Amino acid sequence: MAYHLLQRDPGGAGRLASALDHALKTLRRCARCNTFTEDVVCDRCLSPRRDSSLLCVVEMPVDLNTMEQTHAFNGLYYVLMGRLSPLDGIGPRELAFDRLLARANDGAVREVVLATNFTNEGEATAHYLAEMLRARGLKVSRIARGLPVGGELEYSDAATVAQAFIERRDY
Amino acid sequence: MSAQRQRIDGATAFLLHARPFSETSLVLEVFARDHGRVAILARGARRPRSALRTVLLGFQPLELAWFGGGEVKTMARAEWLGGLPLLMGKGLLLGYYLNELLLKLLPREDAHPALFDGYAGALAALAHGATEPAELRRFEKSLLRELGYGLALDRIAGSGAPVRADGVYAYQPERGVVQAREADGVSPSLTFAGKTLLDLAADDYGDPRTLAESKLLMRQLIAHYLGGQPLQSRRVFMELQEL
Repeated sequence: MAYHLLQRDPGGAGRLASALDHALKTLRRCARCNTFTEDVVCDRCLSPRRDSSLLCVVEMPVDLNTMEQTHAFNGLYYVLMGRLSPLDGIGPRELAFDRLLARANDGAVREVVLATNFTNEGEATAHYLAEMLRARGLKVSRIARGLPVGGELEYSDAATVAQAFIERRDY
Repeated sequence: MSAQRQRIDGATAFLLHARPFSETSLVLEVFARDHGRVAILARGARRPRSALRTVLLGFQPLELAWFGGGEVKTMARAEWLGGLPLLMGKGLLLGYYLNELLLKLLPREDAHPALFDGYAGALAALAHGATEPAELRRFEKSLLRELGYGLALDRIAGSGAPVRADGVYAYQPERGVVQAREADGVSPSLTFAGKTLLDLAADDYGDPRTLAESKLLMRQLIAHYLGGQPLQSRRVFMELQEL
């Protein structure tokens, strides 16, 4: 990409460089949800139309974007900026679990929705966050796992179908 | 067949760890039943729609094919074998501990089928909700035995005299069981009841004291063989217990 921009599009290279430079100088972490913002507290966290009793925990800002595209959730977020990864030395200290705890204990939050990924690391993260938050009297839920909408068993991967079967529910 | 063209097919294996490589690939560390610990490049495994995303799962039995003669092989095929529920909760953290032991202690490409079976058995116990320390002790013991650091727990080093259940002993990693009073500079916390050593030799963990003491003994031995490398999974586990 660097060669392409230098050879074919020096103007674009300049715009990209200044955009990155601007982002580096002005972006910081929202004091409430921990995502990137230019302000102390981001617009979403300040919005009066959001339900402040629901707090959704995601791993990364891209996961927040995906949740937003669903239009299914109108609460607030907390972005961990990672997940537990014991073999890489990423633990509760590196992820600042205490900041999330302080955020969830603001008095307004009633339910924490854990939307970490369904990988082993995401699952470990969800488990320990759930224990920590439940011990402080908060209701904790986890997004469901199973077949995708419009999913057909025939075309689904075996691991997903197996786990959907193990986690089947009354119907 | 030349080393470069060497191809392995139908290998039963577990994924121990995966790290990103270039834009879209992963380098896997797997533990294969008949090939030991192998490093494999999985090309394209991180592409958004890669079918490998739902196959290359840790703590799940896989069937792999790879080729290549160098240190890092190239993956040709991966299939999920199934039959084991995903690990959850505390069992998941203990699973990472087992993986870290294998990653740090097991040399590459050295087959250990008995250890593989012990690992699969420990994962099955953890997947079915057992977080019993006994599972960990059994695995740690079989790991040390397979690596050639077999423990002689029922005989005193040198003399070969039997360990007595009511005696007090210390364990010196390269030597074996010694009388506690003969062990120079051993802190009292690293002395063990004879009964603990005999129970550990017999994999009998019914006695709470045996469980507590054998945990300390295995920790001492593993720290010795790790040669000072810290265990990240243990640190993370301890921090999580404090939450």
